[in-house]
Amino acid sequence: MESLAKIRSLVRNAIRRARVERDLDDEVRSYARMLADEGRDRGLSAQEARRQALIDLGGVEQVKEQVREVRMGTRLETIWQDLRYAARMLRKNPGFSAAVALTLALGIGANAAIFTLTYAVILKSLPVPDPGQLVRYTFRERGVSDLSISGPAYDSLRRHETVNQDILAWSNTDLAVDENGTVTRASGALMTGNGFRVLELRTYLGRVFGETDDVTAGGPNGYQALLGYDYWKRHFQQNSGIVGHPLNVNGRAVTVIGVLPEGFDGLIAGTPTDLLLPLSFEEVTNAPHPMRHFAGSFWLTVVGRLKPGESLAAAQANLRATDAVVREEADPSHMFLRGFFAPFKFGVESGRGGRSFLKVDYAGPLLILELLVGLLLLLCCANTALLMLARASGRTREFAVRSALGASRRRLFRQVLGEVGLLAACGLVIGVWLGWVAARALVAMLAQVGQAPELDVTPRITILAFAAAVTILSALASGLWPALRASRTAPALDLKQGETLSSSKRLGSWIVPLQVAISVTLLSAASLLGGALVHLLLEHTGFGSDRLVMADVDLSPAKPTSKQAGQDARQVLEAVENAPGVQSAAVLLGPPLHNGWSAGHYFSVEQHGAVHSDMQTWPETVSPDYFAAMGTQILEGRGFAKADEGGSAVCVLSASAAAFFFPNEEPVGRSVYSGGSDPSKDGVHLDPKDACRVIGIAEDVRFQSLREPPPRMLYSLASDDDGATRFTLAVRGSGSGLSAAALRNAAKQVVPLAPEPTIYTFRELVNAHLQQERMLTALSTCFAAIALLLTVLGLYGLLARSVLLRTREIGLRLALGAPRREALLLVASQGMRLVLIGATLGIAVALVVSRLLRSLLFDVRPADAVTLAGVAAVLVAVALLASFIPARRATKLNPTEALRHE
Amino acid sequence: MNPESTELLQGTLDLLILKSLELGSLHGLGISRRIEQITHGTFVVKPGSLFPALHRMEEQGWLHAEWGASEANRRAKYYRLTRAGQKQLGEETARWGRIAGAIGRALEAT
Repeated sequence: MESLAKIRSLVRNAIRRARVERDLDDEVRSYARMLADEGRDRGLSAQEARRQALIDLGGVEQVKEQVREVRMGTRLETIWQDLRYAARMLRKNPGFSAAVALTLALGIGANAAIFTLTYAVILKSLPVPDPGQLVRYTFRERGVSDLSISGPAYDSLRRHETVNQDILAWSNTDLAVDENGTVTRASGALMTGNGFRVLELRTYLGRVFGETDDVTAGGPNGYQALLGYDYWKRHFQQNSGIVGHPLNVNGRAVTVIGVLPEGFDGLIAGTPTDLLLPLSFEEVTNAPHPMRHFAGSFWLTVVGRLKPGESLAAAQANLRATDAVVREEADPSHMFLRGFFAPFKFGVESGRGGRSFLKVDYAGPLLILELLVGLLLLLCCANTALLMLARASGRTREFAVRSALGASRRRLFRQVLGEVGLLAACGLVIGVWLGWVAARALVAMLAQVGQAPELDVTPRITILAFAAAVTILSALASGLWPALRASRTAPALDLKQGETLSSSKRLGSWIVPLQVAISVTLLSAASLLGGALVHLLLEHTGFGSDRLVMADVDLSPAKPTSKQAGQDARQVLEAVENAPGVQSAAVLLGPPLHNGWSAGHYFSVEQHGAVHSDMQTWPETVSPDYFAAMGTQILEGRGFAKADEGGSAVCVLSASAAAFFFPNEEPVGRSVYSGGSDPSKDGVHLDPKDACRVIGIAEDVRFQSLREPPPRMLYSLASDDDGATRFTLAVRGSGSGLSAAALRNAAKQVVPLAPEPTIYTFRELVNAHLQQERMLTALSTCFAAIALLLTVLGLYGLLARSVLLRTREIGLRLALGAPRREALLLVASQGMRLVLIGATLGIAVALVVSRLLRSLLFDVRPADAVTLAGVAAVLVAVALLASFIPARRATKLNPTEALRHE
Repeated sequence: MNPESTELLQGTLDLLILKSLELGSLHGLGISRRIEQITHGTFVVKPGSLFPALHRMEEQGWLHAEWGASEANRRAKYYRLTRAGQKQLGEETARWGRIAGAIGRALEAT
């Protein structure tokens, strides 16, 4: 009943506002008239009675305002009114409005962009039902990023599974799809037949494959494949007729049985799934050496779904209990799981987001970036607050008038907050757009050679909600203080004095040191991150990166035998060598700078009757011209020659390998044995037929990663009989364009069935390899530049405003005979004081931040005095510039005019 | 105005307005005078408190307002109790009785 009445009133107040207002006015005025009537009855004159009545009433407008405040829907209405008023005020000051909206847009946009990335890389869940029930098996050593799991280990884990309903195995692999004669690359994935059940994944179209399809040759009907939604859209124009049709993948006919749902990109973040095939297809992709049952290949991502009511902890306990059995079953030879990989432990973690290699690489950098954009946002808020305060100081009189006209303090407070809110809303719109553009650019920066990671960065509800939350926070952070100031108006005083009363305290001079501190922090972060990048780029890698072009070749679609593959590789190499502009070319089996991991290969030497084995020497199989092509210097002895091919086995050691195997001895001419075993076991017999003779020593190279010290290397020549289907070609020539053309033509000519090789210069490889550092440097520099700009603008604005407000004071000083220099000093010292306080504070914060950076990224050096002093000097110099203009204006003041200034 | 008039206690204004309208409809000034009268001048309600209260109570459905002519033939807005208002008056009176009794006992206690 009562609520009904309330709703009726709300509707009435909202719809018939004019009438309600008129009604109220009539009512209050009639009250006043009746009061006056009473006064006349008491014998007062008509005029005196009216005056007395108005005094008793306390002001018609004030009473009306008080009634309005309790009215239903008042809050909404006055807010609407305040907003319209605010919008009007802002339209009148387009410059100011644009400055604030853009400042906030920058802060919001930067935060939205980084959050988009963080969300896509770290926070996003797999688009399957109940992803929280998914767990992922890990295999890792402390501090080392986790390895995948071998085929036999997966089988054994599955056999002993009690906590999960079932576990699946997944692996991404490049596929070659033959579309009417042209072979294109597709990003494929292989999954065990139980996968759809574990994920509870349904298709968009067609059916799924099951365990009966995950067998050799895909069962009686051949291999069955599902298309990724985007791939289906791009390559088959969403034609649903494709279901049931054959497709030629890696030279095999497979049948398309369905299309995966939109948004499902597979289990590995950043790697799209164009085609999904049963795991048994691996016998095709890795022919002739499939690794499904090999204990020493770690290539599977294993994901399970917990039984209802089971927990991660239970899964962990189950793993601990079965660890020994699994190791025994999965590797009876004890070479791997009990050998080199003994320190690696099986584990489980949440599989909610699938697996993300980007997460491993980028969790640290993204955390840093989140911190930096957070600081940047704080700075943007500070700047906005400063602008609002400066504006408020010029509006003292306006506020005083409004207050005298019956606006309550709360109303004034709301008005200022409303203005900030409106501007922040504009900032939000621009910021979301900026963030989207920036996020796309960032994803492009994450590109590996030959492909960009497919990360969805379209602003979805989560991102928008985040941006909105950031906006509200920043509007409050930048608006509260100015709003409080505005509401504390004292009409009687302010109306008389106008703006001259405003002190610099009212201008929020405490904000400037805060800005300077943030700028110093961001600048030093940028210089530390940039320093790390420069250091990595300048360090000697052992490769001659000039004019070096590489190509990744994949012969597997042509299904060659090992022997054929070897011959094909040789032919491609010869064709490249004979092409114009090519100086030297080489084949190498393991490409450099791929953060690769090779283990399980022993090398041994015999020394003083004892055998020394090592498992951490990187075996690189190359063709004779390798050292010339890669630009690696031979320090001693000689490199390979064509004549070495087919003869007795020879090898070249890297300097560190030579020093390791033959300390204080002459390595050239000695033998290194491939094979051998654990050095702790004595009396190993070394077979002379596994031996290679050391013919030279090459300089150390940072082969796997520029971030790590050079590994021990052992180079040997590839034999024709055991060619690999995937290899890398390195070409040094007179120009990158010529080399690339030579590579492309040679591959097409020799192996027309293979997809076009991925061609890149060595510099591109280095850039892709250092993308983390490059991204951090680029972004932190960008943030620092924005910070510097905002700080300078803030300082300039504050000083300019303060000169304006102190015009009379300065004029007085000048009139009393103060030298003009003093006016200059007065203003400049005000600025400098703020900057110095801020810089001191900033250096303290920067020291803390640099420690944090170091804990997240190894290659960052500690903040040194030179960097910090340099950063502080930059700020002081820029601040001096910013104070100079207002200070000069102060000296130019004409005392007589200044004294009249109001 | 009587400078010694007591500030209204929180919540008592509603009760006094309801009470003043018990016998029939009144306009704003009438309510104000009636409250002065029935409290023997102890409480004086200023328009700044009276009008917001009247409008709030009307919106709550306790009062009904309509325009009419005053004794001096002035146009004035008259308020009267609705059924909900009467019920509210009963509840408020009972509540006030409880409070007054409790306070009284509390002050007499030694």
